[in-house]
Amino acid sequence: MADSIKVRAQMQGSGAEVRVLINHPMETGVRKDEKGAVVPAHFIQTLRITHNGNPVLESLWGVGISQNPYLRLKLASAKPGDKIGVAWEDNLGKKDATEVVVQ
Amino acid sequence: MNKALWAGLMLAILGSLAACQTGKDSAGPSPAPLALEGSAAPVPWKRYVVEPLGVRWPQTDWKSFNNLVQTASPPVGALPKIDGPIAGNAENGKKLVLDRSRGGGCITCHILGNTGSQPGNPGPDLSMIGAQRTPEWLFAQIWEPRLTNPQSFMPPWGTHGVFSVEEVRDMVAFLMTLKTPAEFKSDKENPNKRPAPVETRPNLDPTENPAAFIADKGAAAFRAAGPKGQACIDCHRDPAQAFAVWGAQMPSYEPRLDKVLGVEEFVTRHARATTGGEFPMQSETNLALAIYLRALANGQPIRVDTRSPGATAALARGQALMDKKVGQLNFSCRDCHDPERGGNHWFRGQYVSGLPNLLGHFPTWRTARGEVWDIRKRFQWCNVSVRANELPPDAREYGDIELALTTMNAGRKLSVPGIRH
Repeated sequence: MADSIKVRAQMQGSGAEVRVLINHPMETGVRKDEKGAVVPAHFIQTLRITHNGNPVLESLWGVGISQNPYLRLKLASAKPGDKIGVAWEDNLGKKDATEVVVQ
Repeated sequence: MNKALWAGLMLAILGSLAACQTGKDSAGPSPAPLALEGSAAPVPWKRYVVEPLGVRWPQTDWKSFNNLVQTASPPVGALPKIDGPIAGNAENGKKLVLDRSRGGGCITCHILGNTGSQPGNPGPDLSMIGAQRTPEWLFAQIWEPRLTNPQSFMPPWGTHGVFSVEEVRDMVAFLMTLKTPAEFKSDKENPNKRPAPVETRPNLDPTENPAAFIADKGAAAFRAAGPKGQACIDCHRDPAQAFAVWGAQMPSYEPRLDKVLGVEEFVTRHARATTGGEFPMQSETNLALAIYLRALANGQPIRVDTRSPGATAALARGQALMDKKVGQLNFSCRDCHDPERGGNHWFRGQYVSGLPNLLGHFPTWRTARGEVWDIRKRFQWCNVSVRANELPPDAREYGDIELALTTMNAGRKLSVPGIRH
């Protein structure tokens, strides 16, 4: 699994609940460090979630999102064994992606 | 494969085994290798300044007050001589009793009628105090509560120099105006009825607890070769089995150092003596290894061994330290956490948990701070919060307190990493 993403996709009723936790500082670019120097902005800009390869969520994020972003969504059409992909890319060009199977 | 290669391979395997202790000799289990020299934490210890989410640690040097090592606070003081009746500016007094920058203000611990919002409740309700006490009594109680009641855990605001004579007079003038019972708009405003917060977040679910990423780093560090070429896993080949209960049985008394070692300090000293890894306490890798190792014992009942004379003495020291008054606010551990005093009460909007139940989730993710804290950092923040100089994380006193606190948690199940506000 990707180092920065934890995903759990579990059937709940007729659909799947997908929970995602991403390890990211989400620096706003206004915070100052111990010496008073501004910590440069560093935040996730795009987040994509796919269901069997098809995009189901594509969101544009900014500095208003907290450190270690968490999101949860329900996928009504998901079935056990389906693949859920999560991928992010930040303003410094860093990226990470992972895929889990719906349980 | 040729014979020379085989021989080389066998030698390499023998060599790697030779570097590991088998754990037993004729006299029973041999003690784990530990670096006994030097400190497990940075020297000199320097107080934290600012945390990832911007929380600043106060930088004041409280050297003229007790901390867990030194005894420096002024003795129980006499009252200042005051000419004439005690009168003051009630309007300024009202500001002072609500002032959060001066030790929290009276409202942190007392209901003050309908003045201010979200009062706390470790101290008595003062809503009718103006009809019950004289100004002289109130002045004495604020300046030096221990003159009236030697067991009082209220800070000696005058003796410890938080408020001046004039300021206490103003506060008394305000308190004398309080003659009406408090009315609360809702139970949530009333500290005696506000429900205690219950931590229900599933801390062991990796999609809920950001510390899971740090636990992953611990698992990786356990398998990474140190400067001497070997990794932890080379000797501890089956960590799940080897550490199935260890984390629930720490801290432990270490006779070679005559101090109590928690998981974190043990990791520092053991790695230094074996792999050559340098993981000072509260460094990222130390916390990662501590979480990883302690979590292997999750679900196990907490149980520490205090039978040896050294451990018995450490436990007695720890229990005594939990009663030591420290800092400008003059609080002991028990003053804030014993349910007979501040424990399980609201300090304004902050609920302070009672003893026990303060330990089995450490190291823990702190949502309000955006980082993992080990129990020693929690102790440090407690010290600074009551305006006492904190100790380095590897201080003997913190080990003693950790042991005492752990014995109070005996039987509770370990659940690491926790999540707390």
